[in-house]
Amino acid sequence: MKLKHTKNSEWHWLTGGIIVSVLSMATYVAFQALSYKSYPFGITASFGNIATLFKHPFPGLADNPVIQKYSNSPAALISTTMIFSIALGGFVAAKLNRNYAPELIPAVWKKYHGPGIWKRFIIVLIGGFLLGLGAVIASGCTTGNILQGWAHLSLGSMVAGASFFITGIIIAKILYPKTGGQKS
Amino acid sequence: MILKIIIGSIVGFVFGYTLQRTGITKYPRVMGLLLLKDFKILKFMLTAVTLSMIGFYTLDSLGVIELNPKPLDWGKLVGGLIFGAGMGLLGYCPGTMLSRIGEGKKDAWLGLLGTVLGILFFALNVNFFKTHLTSKSMSGDISAALGISQWIIVPIAAIVFIGIIYLVNKKVDDFKQNF
Repeated sequence: MKLKHTKNSEWHWLTGGIIVSVLSMATYVAFQALSYKSYPFGITASFGNIATLFKHPFPGLADNPVIQKYSNSPAALISTTMIFSIALGGFVAAKLNRNYAPELIPAVWKKYHGPGIWKRFIIVLIGGFLLGLGAVIASGCTTGNILQGWAHLSLGSMVAGASFFITGIIIAKILYPKTGGQKS
Repeated sequence: MILKIIIGSIVGFVFGYTLQRTGITKYPRVMGLLLLKDFKILKFMLTAVTLSMIGFYTLDSLGVIELNPKPLDWGKLVGGLIFGAGMGLLGYCPGTMLSRIGEGKKDAWLGLLGTVLGILFFALNVNFFKTHLTSKSMSGDISAALGISQWIIVPIAAIVFIGIIYLVNKKVDDFKQNF
C-alpha cells in the first residue's frame, strides 16, 4: 500500500488549477488597471524580450517592427522580470520539496533513444525554434492562447490551442511509438 | 518601474512555483499527455481555464475589465501546428521551459536559445508571415460570431470543460512509472 501524501507528493491538479486561475485573473485585472491593455498574461513576450537583445550585436534589427514592438511595450519590464522569476519559482519549488534533480537530458529520452546527448540537443534546438516561431505566428503560447485565450472563449485561441495538440500528438507518437514498459 | 519589477517577480514566481509543484514541468508528464496516457496537465489546465473563464466574464459584465478575445486568422492554425510540433519535440512549452531551467534541467537552456532564434526568424520575415497568414482576420468574440448571448455560451463551455475533466479523470495520473 502506498501513502498518498508523502513529503514529496505533488499538488493535486485541482490545487494547481485553482492557483493558476487566480493568478491569471489577478494579473489581467492588474494589467488593465495599470492600462497595459494590449498585454494580457503570456510568456511568449518574455522570449520576445530576450530576442530584442540581438539588436545590440546586429544594429539593423533595431528598426524591425517585431523587435520594436517588444522593446516599446509598456509591460516589457514585467515580462523580462518574469523570465527570471519563473525560473526562480521552479528552483525554489524543487529545492523546498527535495526533488531538485539536475539532468542534462530527460531519463525517459535516454531509455528510449539511448544516452547520446547530441541527438537530443539537435531535437531540442529544432523544437525550440518551432516553438518560438509558432508562438509568434499564433500570437501566443500555451499560457496566452489556452490559459488566457480559452478562458476568454476567443475563437483564435481555440483554433490555436487545438492545433498545438494535433501536431504535438503526432510528434509524440513518432518519438515514442511503443510505450507502457515494453522496453526497459 | 519598481512596480513593474514587483509585479513581474510575484506573478512569475507563483507561476513557476505552481508549475513545478504540481508536476507540470515533468518531461514524462508532457509526453504522457501527448501520448494520451497521462491527463494531469489537461485536468490542471481545464480547471484553471474554467474558473478563470467564469471570473473573466463576471468581471467583464461588472465593468471591472474588458475581455480581449484573440482574432481568428490563418496564423492561429498554422502557428498552432508549428508550435505543437515544437512542443512534441521539446516535451515542454515556453512557461514550463523557464520553470525547468530553474529545476536544473540543462537541455531547457538549448530550448530557450531555439525559441529566441524562432522569434528572430519571424521578425526577419515578418512581412511574409503578415501577408500570408495574419492579414485577413475576423473578430475572436464567440458570442458575436454565433449570435448567442454569453450567458448561454459560458455555462455551456463550463459544462464541456468539466465534462472533459470528468471523462479523463479515470485514467492514470502518473504514467511516468510505466513509461
